Order: sequence, then structure tokens, then C-alpha cells
Amino acid sequence: MGALDAPTVVDPDVDETVETAKPWVVVVWNDPVNLMSYVVYVFQKLFGYSKDKATKLMLDVHHKGKAAVSSGNREKAETDVSRLHAHGLWATMQRD
Amino acid sequence: MAPRAPFRRNRAEGFDVVLEAGEAAVLTRLCEELTTLLGGDDDQADPVVERLFPRAYLDPTEEDAEADWQRLAHGDLVDGRRRALATVEGTLAAAEVRRGRFELTLSEEQARDWLAVLNDARLALGTRLEVTEDLDLSGLDPDDPDTAPFAVYWWLGVLEERLIDLLSASL
Repeated sequence: MGALDAPTVVDPDVDETVETAKPWVVVVWNDPVNLMSYVVYVFQKLFGYSKDKATKLMLDVHHKGKAAVSSGNREKAETDVSRLHAHGLWATMQRD
Repeated sequence: MAPRAPFRRNRAEGFDVVLEAGEAAVLTRLCEELTTLLGGDDDQADPVVERLFPRAYLDPTEEDAEADWQRLAHGDLVDGRRRALATVEGTLAAAEVRRGRFELTLSEEQARDWLAVLNDARLALGTRLEVTEDLDLSGLDPDDPDTAPFAVYWWLGVLEERLIDLLSASL
């Protein structure tokens, strides 16, 4: 991701528990173009995540190359992937 | 590339936009290029098309599911991008031109369409230019034709940051 601004500091105590027992996981991959602030905005807008949680996920994408951003049955995962693609994020889905 | 903020929130829960004529011309051209790209015959060899429409299933053995998803989702994804492009082109065409500047107002929904188009244009340009995370845009000479596309890429990022800032306030 490119950045025109430094990322904001993340609260390390933010709950980042990912629900388990969901058969499909949606993963967002790092890319060199999307702005950090844009990725945070999209995570907040699409999933209703707090700014802290969205920022934590964005930083995972940026530093680790990917992050699991949602999970659920096949239909939900396909819908989430479509919404992420509509916003220009590089997302895929896989079995958990 | 004026230092003035191109987007401002107005009192009517919308946004005022002011662009130099040259900036409006660049945006119009980028919209035309995206429209052409969307009208292509699904040439998957184009890295920009691949970037705007990636596959959904990571596992290459899920080809049947991937094909089903493409059948269901691809048309909607193209339509959504066309709709956003129509918003930007329509609002630009309806702009008032005062002293060489394009002035227009956007509703919140139209502003979201603008952000979508700015991001798609930046994705397309960044993919074409093969930018990396290490891209250093300082010291660009705007008059050098070789670096002009990088200046546009940088400028799109500035516009986007401003719009993201404004739209994030109403999340």
C-alpha cells in the first residue's frame, strides 16, 4: 500500500478475535497501490468495524501481506469478496 | 496541482468541489479510459482488467465455483463501476466554469462514487506504471513527459486522501 500519511497508532488491547467454525474465510492481500487510509475506510464502511479494528486489519495486510477480514458460509464469503472487489481491494476466499 | 483543498464539506450535507480546468480535463480523460477498459471483450491478458476484476477463489481447483461466481458477480461489478463513472462524468459536465475553474457540488452518495472512480483510476494507472511500495515521488518534474503519469498518480492520491478524510467523518 502506498501512504501519504503515517498510519495511526493502534490500541494493542483491541479485541481481534476471529469467529471460528466458519467454513469460508475472506482474505485481503497487500498491493502497492491502495492507500492505507482507503483500506481502513473500506473495512469500516463494508463491515462496520471500528476504526481501531479496521486499522489493525489494514496493518496486518500491509506488514504480513494479507489479513482475514470476514468469514461465514460460501454465499456470505462470495458476497463479501464481491463488495471488496467493487471497492478495488484484492480479496479472495478459501476454506478455513 | 494547486495546494487548495479540492473538496470541502458544505452546509447542505454535501461537498463543494473546485478543480482547475486542466485537472477536470485529466479526470475526464481517465473516465474515458476506464469506460473503454470496461467495454473491452474480457481480455484477461490485460493486467489492469485482472487487477480490477480479480478471481474470488484462491484455490485453483475451485474452477467450477469460480466460474459460477463470475457469472453471478461480474456483470454487477461492471455495472457498479459504470454507474460511478457516469456520476463523475455527469457532475463534471454540469460543473459551472468560473475564471477557468470547475465548480460543482456533490451529494454524499455522489462523493462516494467519485472516491470509487478516483481509486479505480489510481489502480489502473498504478498497475500500468508497475508501481511498487518503494516508489519515491519526490522531486518529480511535472514538465517531463516521462514522469507526467507519475504526477497524475500522485495527484489522484492527494484527491483521494482528502475525500476519504471527509467521507470517514460520516461513517
